[in-house]
Amino acid sequence: MKDHVTFKLNGREVSVALAREKKLLEILREDLGMTGTKCGCDSGICGACTVVIDGKEVKSCLYSSERLDGVEVLTIEGLSVNSIHPIQKALIDAGAVQCGYCTPGIVMGLYALYSSNPEAEEAEILKVLDRHLCRCTGYETIVEGAIAARSLFSTTGTR
Amino acid sequence: MDLTYVGMDFPRPDAVQKAQGKSVYLDDIRLPGMLYAEILRPEYAHAKILSIDTAAAEACEGVVAVVTGASCAYSYGDNIRDLIPMAVDKVRYIGEPLAAVIAESAYQAREAIKKIVVRYDPLPVYIDALEAMKPDAVLIHERNGEYWHLPAIHPVAKTNIAGHYILKKGDFEKALAAADFVVEGEFDYPFGSSSAIETHGAIVWFQNDGKIDCWSSSICPFIIREDLANTYGIPISDVRVRIPEIGGCFGYKSDITVEQTVAWIASHARGRPVKWVASRKADLESTLIGHGIRTRMKIAASKDGKFLGLQTRSYHSTGAYADTGINVSHAATHNSTGPYVFDNCDLQGYSVYTNTPPVGAFRGYGHQEAQLATERLVDMLARKMGMDPFLLREKNYIRPGSKNALGERMYVANGSVQDCAAKARAAIFRGNKPAEDERYFYGRGFAALMKSPKGASFQTKGCYLKLNKDGSATVTIGGVEVGQGLRTVVQQVTGEALKISPRKVRVNFEVDTLYSPYEWQTIGSMFTTMGGRAIIRAADRVIAILKKNASFALRCDEDFIEYDGEWLFVKSDPECRVAVGAVAQGYMTEDGRTVGELAQATSDARLPRYSGFDENGQGGAGVSYTFGAQACELRIEKSTGKITVDHFASSFDVGKVVNPRQIRGQVAGGVVMAIGATLYEKLQVGTDGKIANPHFGKYHLPTASEAPRRQTIEFVENPDVVGPFGARGIGEHPVIGVAPAILNAIYDAIGIEFTDIPVTPARILAGLQSRETPK
Repeated sequence: MKDHVTFKLNGREVSVALAREKKLLEILREDLGMTGTKCGCDSGICGACTVVIDGKEVKSCLYSSERLDGVEVLTIEGLSVNSIHPIQKALIDAGAVQCGYCTPGIVMGLYALYSSNPEAEEAEILKVLDRHLCRCTGYETIVEGAIAARSLFSTTGTR
Repeated sequence: MDLTYVGMDFPRPDAVQKAQGKSVYLDDIRLPGMLYAEILRPEYAHAKILSIDTAAAEACEGVVAVVTGASCAYSYGDNIRDLIPMAVDKVRYIGEPLAAVIAESAYQAREAIKKIVVRYDPLPVYIDALEAMKPDAVLIHERNGEYWHLPAIHPVAKTNIAGHYILKKGDFEKALAAADFVVEGEFDYPFGSSSAIETHGAIVWFQNDGKIDCWSSSICPFIIREDLANTYGIPISDVRVRIPEIGGCFGYKSDITVEQTVAWIASHARGRPVKWVASRKADLESTLIGHGIRTRMKIAASKDGKFLGLQTRSYHSTGAYADTGINVSHAATHNSTGPYVFDNCDLQGYSVYTNTPPVGAFRGYGHQEAQLATERLVDMLARKMGMDPFLLREKNYIRPGSKNALGERMYVANGSVQDCAAKARAAIFRGNKPAEDERYFYGRGFAALMKSPKGASFQTKGCYLKLNKDGSATVTIGGVEVGQGLRTVVQQVTGEALKISPRKVRVNFEVDTLYSPYEWQTIGSMFTTMGGRAIIRAADRVIAILKKNASFALRCDEDFIEYDGEWLFVKSDPECRVAVGAVAQGYMTEDGRTVGELAQATSDARLPRYSGFDENGQGGAGVSYTFGAQACELRIEKSTGKITVDHFASSFDVGKVVNPRQIRGQVAGGVVMAIGATLYEKLQVGTDGKIANPHFGKYHLPTASEAPRRQTIEFVENPDVVGPFGARGIGEHPVIGVAPAILNAIYDAIGIEFTDIPVTPARILAGLQSRETPK
């Protein structure tokens, strides 16, 4: 039985101790000190902990450490190191950032969507946003920002 | 008024950091040697504690200390001192802190807490005020009536009534006798949770030199500071409270909540910081919840549609401790008039101890609970009279010159409910609603509303303002940003007052009681009004200093000098001028010697119109009222009972819009939050006091696709006299009229009178079925 798992985190290989009770969220925040990914409900509902694994939107609070072996994880810290990512810019410009606690998760959710489907239709965008709870905005600005992000994303490409 | 920056969109100064995950919230803080706490909650909602066996927990790996309340001898509370940090001899609600483990890691603390064994002697459980008020009810607080409390609070000893509030105006019985029409009903706004996406949390560090450091996800750092100093017997200046970024508040992070408990725990591990962060379950069960208000209301009216009298009985299941809920009961009671004039009022509110989590502030603070009753009854009255509901309201709206239930006179500067009503009505009621079709019923509803300036007569907000050598400014305030956009308001008001671009204004993010000016707490939708006024007063002082310094440079009397944001110049000869930068830090003469003073100032602001209250509850509560109206258009799916809000309209008289994009966000978000309460959210407390849905899987917050398809949001701008450039608050207002507007629309659609929320699809289907069953 292995006692460590090795995976790619924001382009770099990392190895962490395998702990059955630990989910990826706790590994990111507590073991690796990467606090950009937030914990809102710890039960896979609110979406604040969303990261991208092998191109897919994943709730890190439910993702067990065993499954990490060999995967590629992208977190909010890896999305835009020295600049503002177009998705972030679109959300900011729309006024979709209020308390900001749900924002990193939404950014990652939209990144996964647009990376695989740059032409996503509004219904698909809404389906992604339905996996993210926001208590501040009433979603109006988030939907607006998400739609604007699509065109920014497709014109500027990824990262 | 000619304004340059107030009334414009400006971006939030914190948005980039937040969107990149770089902002530091409470749980992101890492301190050297930090320990982690986990808290044990009881198995019963009301029980005597017979014993707590902590031996097995103490033996667990990584455990530093196990804490119980057994030796805890203090209580606290700013309204009623009935709060304790941890249960002592009994437990009073299912989320009450009962014991805690401090360990080297959060995981170790979680594992060890499972090893604590508690023996109980269960007591009867009361989850509703009406049950707990009964004369034979077992006392939840044996010492009720003996606790220290503010003079305006009236507990009834030997009962579970923590406060009985009475407001009388005129003679209601006489009005009732003279009435041609009377309507009455009982309305229930059940328990709910503010449920910010960031839960509560705090870190407390008892330093070995006797000082206490605290970080909290709270909007009342200065109250925490004073409370901890008082509890631990050290000078206020030796307690330092810092507030990091906050992931939403909506009420329940005001007043002291978890900090005293975390401090009690941390006092058992002196020398090291102890962090506790609420799980979602703990957040829903053990921090402040909202509402729990049942309103019995009676309106008496004459046949020509004049409201003669109002009787309200507000029964508030305030929870196991009443300190944080008592003023919600008061607000619910005196605001139960809604935006109407009643010459005769008999209003009473009961705050009652129950075996439920303590109720505290929830965005709206009693207003939406009470005005659900008012706005539903007004519609019912109009039907009974055969009068147009808009006309009935129009005849009774509070106007300049009229007096509210407290006896406060209203002026033009209090705003116009009529103007708001006209806008909301025009948005929704223009033309006919869609006719019923195969799939849907359609309905439209309306509610007018009033928001009082709930707060304390002593509440103060401060400001420190520095002008820098390059003409930029640094502002430090004690107000806490929770997402509402306070920092942008500070930038814009400062910019306007100093005649400089808001982009040149830097506002502090972290509030730190060591460096920030005093602020009572950032509550009651009052920051823009009072904080804004404080900023203007500081700016005026800074400009006066600049003029004084310029008088040395220009060799001219101060009152002959004008300021335009860039220059100070002689009024009669604008070319004779000196740049702001040259006089921002005194005026340096050619030989380097400096005269004058630094262009920096401190200031504060309060609401001007408070007074005491007489034996009937008549008096001044600050008089900074706000009015509004909301309306909606919805459809009900026949097969499922599902309600879809197609269009929601809101209009508020905010005096002056400071930032159009931000204010729209506040309203849109508030509306969706209250749609949550109206259609989905309810904390399901069983008769045993246990909560059946303490997680987001079953406590359902509205999602993006459940938000209204369209929101019309418009403002009326009758300038305020206190707030900056005429502005009033807006934070809480958008939640007030939502439930009655939707319930009125449901009646319009299907003719069923709902008097409590949430109205779920199952209830709609049951209602439709019984409607169709022949009687």
